[in-house]
Amino acid sequence: MDFGQFILMRHELLLILAAVIVLIAELAVSESSKARIIPFALGLFALVTIAGFIPGETGTLFGGSYQSNELTTMMKNVLNMGVLIIFLQSESWLKKPENVDKASEYFVLTLATLVGMNYMISAGDFLIFYVGLETATIPIAGLAAFDKLKSRSAEAGIKLILSSALSSGILLFGLSMIYGATGSIYFADVLKNVSATPLIIMGFIFFVAGMGFKISLVPFHFWTADVYEGAPIGVTSYLSVVSKGAAVFIFTIVLFTVFRPIMEQWQHLIYTLAVMTMTLANLFALRQDNLKRFLAFSSIAQAGFILLGILGANGMGMASVVYFVLVYVFTNLGAFGVVAAVSAASGVETISGYNGLYKTNPKLSLLMTLSLFSLAGIPPVAGFFGKFFLFTSAAGSGYFILVLIAVLNATISLYYYLRVVKAMFIDANEDPAPTFRSSNAMRLGLIMCLAGMFIIGFASTIFDYLRNISDVLFN
Amino acid sequence: MNVVMFYLLSAIILIFSLLSITTRKILRAAVYLLFVLVATSGFYFLLNYEFMAAVQLTLYAGGIVVLIIFSILLTSHISHKFKHPALLNLLMGAGVAVIGAGVALYIIFNEKFTANGQPELPVDMTAIGTQLLSTEKNGYVLPFELISVLLLAAIIAAIVIAKKGKQEEKES
Repeated sequence: MDFGQFILMRHELLLILAAVIVLIAELAVSESSKARIIPFALGLFALVTIAGFIPGETGTLFGGSYQSNELTTMMKNVLNMGVLIIFLQSESWLKKPENVDKASEYFVLTLATLVGMNYMISAGDFLIFYVGLETATIPIAGLAAFDKLKSRSAEAGIKLILSSALSSGILLFGLSMIYGATGSIYFADVLKNVSATPLIIMGFIFFVAGMGFKISLVPFHFWTADVYEGAPIGVTSYLSVVSKGAAVFIFTIVLFTVFRPIMEQWQHLIYTLAVMTMTLANLFALRQDNLKRFLAFSSIAQAGFILLGILGANGMGMASVVYFVLVYVFTNLGAFGVVAAVSAASGVETISGYNGLYKTNPKLSLLMTLSLFSLAGIPPVAGFFGKFFLFTSAAGSGYFILVLIAVLNATISLYYYLRVVKAMFIDANEDPAPTFRSSNAMRLGLIMCLAGMFIIGFASTIFDYLRNISDVLFN
Repeated sequence: MNVVMFYLLSAIILIFSLLSITTRKILRAAVYLLFVLVATSGFYFLLNYEFMAAVQLTLYAGGIVVLIIFSILLTSHISHKFKHPALLNLLMGAGVAVIGAGVALYIIFNEKFTANGQPELPVDMTAIGTQLLSTEKNGYVLPFELISVLLLAAIIAAIVIAKKGKQEEKES
């Protein structure tokens, strides 16, 4: 191979380059002006994000270990945009005196995990997939324990590393069975030899269990609420949006390509997981008062809805999953951004603490309301279209009862999303959170979320584009 | 002779694995793990995978166990004994293990393994060295390089957790 072909890996190489530049820049700034690294890293990553959109060649490298096509490029761009918004929203948190001398580590760790996710999405064999998965997981434990003087943050770090080690073990056990039965780790070769024998199905179940931990599907969700609550908000939103989104992408790709011959079998499994995930997560979310725990259970429930799109198992299903994750990035980061802004200014993180927020901070309350409406799937914001396409995809494959269950669950979820809205607009409070003005970076991050929610909802060309590039998996 | 060795090694692995998870002293668990890892390398010798056996001995039995023991000695009290687990937890854990092993064994014994028609790959040192740096199919240069990113990030994550901030330095 010649080095010109490396252009296919431009997303990954740009990210590695950015991480190395931030590391070296850290050496160049003096002790007293560490805060300068934050705008520098932000600008650098904004350039990387924009560069990702430049159209370029696609193809396979390393004898099929690495594959890129328009779909994977799009997925990587979605993740990049999510990380850019998270960086903007974390800026004021990083500037705090206890965090500022760790700021460059925050950027390097996030970029390194993003490299892992990109390789995972572009994997053409189970080895790259697995190494990418670990690169995307292990360093996040360091991020979750970032506020290490708070015992909850340290607890989040250790819980994340233990549960991810367990899930990786289960996943590897499953993969070794599939390797034993098919004799190859390359997706293309496995596809030729997969059939519904008991050994392959057992390996597949272990594989789904391992991925279920990463996506936090019920019954593999136990770590989610504790880790989300303990980790700093910037890390929580990274875990719940970008990390989950990347795992969903590769899970969908592997199900649609490698395990296509046993589709009938996996559809039963995914069906059961979808029903359990949606229902149980909704019931738990009903009784939360801490907003981070609340958003944790809400994000588990959203993962259940995504499974509906996977059940579609055709180009429409793939497009609806990518579209939903794209919407989910902007929507959920809007909600997390408001929580981060309020928490940074007043330390309030409970729903009851949001009573009367509209009187003091009307713009933030409005954005929070729109984000929650979008999560619940109410028009005119983009979340409605996201759910609509997922349901269409499942109904198109004949899962009418499942769609009915999903609609019922969406109704239940409306109740708890509206609880927050009610707290902000209706409930009286003698001592509401004070009026404050967020930093410019935070405001830019929130405005991007707001714009995203409307533009993605109304610009139908986006879904058409996704629909066109999704068929590449089924050739 | 090989059959005798196989059963001997299997017995060692089984017994010490069980001991490693049932002992209540953490240092002993680490030492029992060492025996498990050494015995596993015996399997690779039986299969004539000399390279794998050497890696297993040097990396796992040599490096990783020493690391584990180091971190135990640096962080925990060696005389500390873990509590006995609650009986209900013990029974449930044993139940899951027995049922899981039963299902897995039943399936594996009933599987008819067939050759998939791909050429057998050589396992000598030269072939392994070439493959490690090969960019073709069955080459491992990409995962090899990706792991270096993983290790760099893991080191930085460890530094984030271990390093003292300015405020802590003032307090201490």
